[in-house]
Amino acid sequence: MTRSSSEVRRVPRKPKPAPGSRRFSPLRLLGSVLVWAFTAGNVLVLYWLLTAAFKTPVEIFTKPFALPYQWFHVGKPFRNFVYAWNNAGFGDAVLTTVVLVGLATVATVAVSAPCAYALTRLGVRGSGPLTNVVAIGMGVPFQTVIIPLFVTMSKAHLDNEYGLFLLYVALSIPFTVFLLTGFFRSLPDELEEAASLDGASPARTFFSVMLPLARGGLITALTLNAIGLWNETLLAIVFLKDQAHFTLSRALFTFYGAASYQSEYGGLIAGVAIVVLPMLVLYLVLARRIITGLTLGAGK
Amino acid sequence: MATLTTTPPSARAPGARADGGAHLRRKKRLFWPFAAPALVLYLAFLVLPTLGTVVLSFTSWAGAGDTPKPNGVTNYTQMWASDSFQYAFRNTLVYVFAGGVGTFALAFLFTMVLRDMRGGKVVRAILFFPNIVAPVALGMFLGFVFKYQPGKQGLANYVLEHAGADAAKFLAPANVTGVVTASLIWASSGFYITILMAAVDRIPPYLYEDAELGGASPWQKFRNITLPMTWDVVGVAGVLWTINALKIFELVFVLAGPGTYAPPNEAWTLGIYVFDRTFGSNGTPDFGAACACAVAMIALVSILVVLLRRVMRRDAIQF
Repeated sequence: MTRSSSEVRRVPRKPKPAPGSRRFSPLRLLGSVLVWAFTAGNVLVLYWLLTAAFKTPVEIFTKPFALPYQWFHVGKPFRNFVYAWNNAGFGDAVLTTVVLVGLATVATVAVSAPCAYALTRLGVRGSGPLTNVVAIGMGVPFQTVIIPLFVTMSKAHLDNEYGLFLLYVALSIPFTVFLLTGFFRSLPDELEEAASLDGASPARTFFSVMLPLARGGLITALTLNAIGLWNETLLAIVFLKDQAHFTLSRALFTFYGAASYQSEYGGLIAGVAIVVLPMLVLYLVLARRIITGLTLGAGK
Repeated sequence: MATLTTTPPSARAPGARADGGAHLRRKKRLFWPFAAPALVLYLAFLVLPTLGTVVLSFTSWAGAGDTPKPNGVTNYTQMWASDSFQYAFRNTLVYVFAGGVGTFALAFLFTMVLRDMRGGKVVRAILFFPNIVAPVALGMFLGFVFKYQPGKQGLANYVLEHAGADAAKFLAPANVTGVVTASLIWASSGFYITILMAAVDRIPPYLYEDAELGGASPWQKFRNITLPMTWDVVGVAGVLWTINALKIFELVFVLAGPGTYAPPNEAWTLGIYVFDRTFGSNGTPDFGAACACAVAMIALVSILVVLLRRVMRRDAIQF
């Protein structure tokens, strides 16, 4: 992470300020204290989540900052995880989520990349306004389209994981197209011209020149969509009826009702951890891409 | 130009030199095959359903098994008069405005400090972390943090009690809006700090060096360099915030709610209102009313975004 963005733009090393030029400022001090307190708070929260997943409910509430003891002492440290896994149907859910999110993410990018390319680089009149029309779709809250979709898709017997796949792809398009137009716009014209001079057809130029050049953007789009869809719950609640095909967040939602009724807090926190940890790992691996991608989308 | 001899003749229409007309025409012919799939899906799953929602909002319709019957603006008048909608409307505005002010105040403060702080990159990555957590998981997690139950206090009350204060009923209906606002600010500030910091990173450092030599305070540097140079990014971030805060649903539903059915009326958002009228446990479904609320959501997001863009309009600074 310390490498982040230094690749994008190497900022010249800052010269040391002349002695005395950097005055003491109460605002700076207050700011630094606040920044560190906030950061420490986030780290603490993560620590609490990770340790609580291995604790008994009594430990969670009476010794929130201590390391887990009881389950390790009994010799079943993963007891909460096992409980959550067995009682929330996470086994099936992991499979469904990985397949559904994986396919939907790839399909979204496969559909959006040519569209973003067409909108930015083919020189067709009206592309600009059309791009804006697609971008407006980012502002439509899902709740507002859910009723007509639910009605028509139930009639077409698509109120299941196949319908959810379609929805995930379609509803991810505005953001993905918007993000990728930013990437395609930033590519130099000369490469395209060189390819056409070499006799490549426009389609070939796209597939063998522009697409590989936009690889960074494609990976960012894949990652951001994967995180977004992994965490998506509302559509999964509405469109998935069959418990065997629940997604992880949907399974967690159902588990919440049952487990909080039984005060099974350790299991619940382990369930939260099961949903959160894969994304945390993905984030640690790809933080740089996620952050540059976001800023390219918003900053251009 | 060895490549010229190896290209198949079909790939080179006559006259297709550097930027010849034929090549341009062929590029344009590629437009629909490339753009159509995404645009069709967009039309079918976003544009048409939105129109459907608008039409349905003027009908009375209980949902499956019933047929929609036109009833004019009855849904809107009834909705406006109902307590649950008023709570939902007020809470949504609180989240958008109070949450927005808090988040951006925090983000601005951080841009002042983080720019020349050691370990700034690591701090940014840590602050971004809540944004990758599913809102459902975040809601559950915060539910534990704010739990009030003597003998089984959540983290927040544990800290309060050990500091000698009284435990507070954070999630009581009267307090839940405030708690959710604070949670929202905590969870989303990292995202906006990240976006704003990336804009700050693009500002040429010599501007800050000049200001430093002139003895400017952090506030002066922020006011005269950072803010004007990042103004357009601030505008985009503001639009993103408005959109995201307006559709907030899972976080509140789980944080304020007892489980898989709707939380008390006082905690509702417009998103919860739509959900409850469609699939809710309180009484029979009422798709017409849900659609009316959905239309109110679209209207609200449009009005707020247009207003925000008008307020933020400035001449862009080139650098």
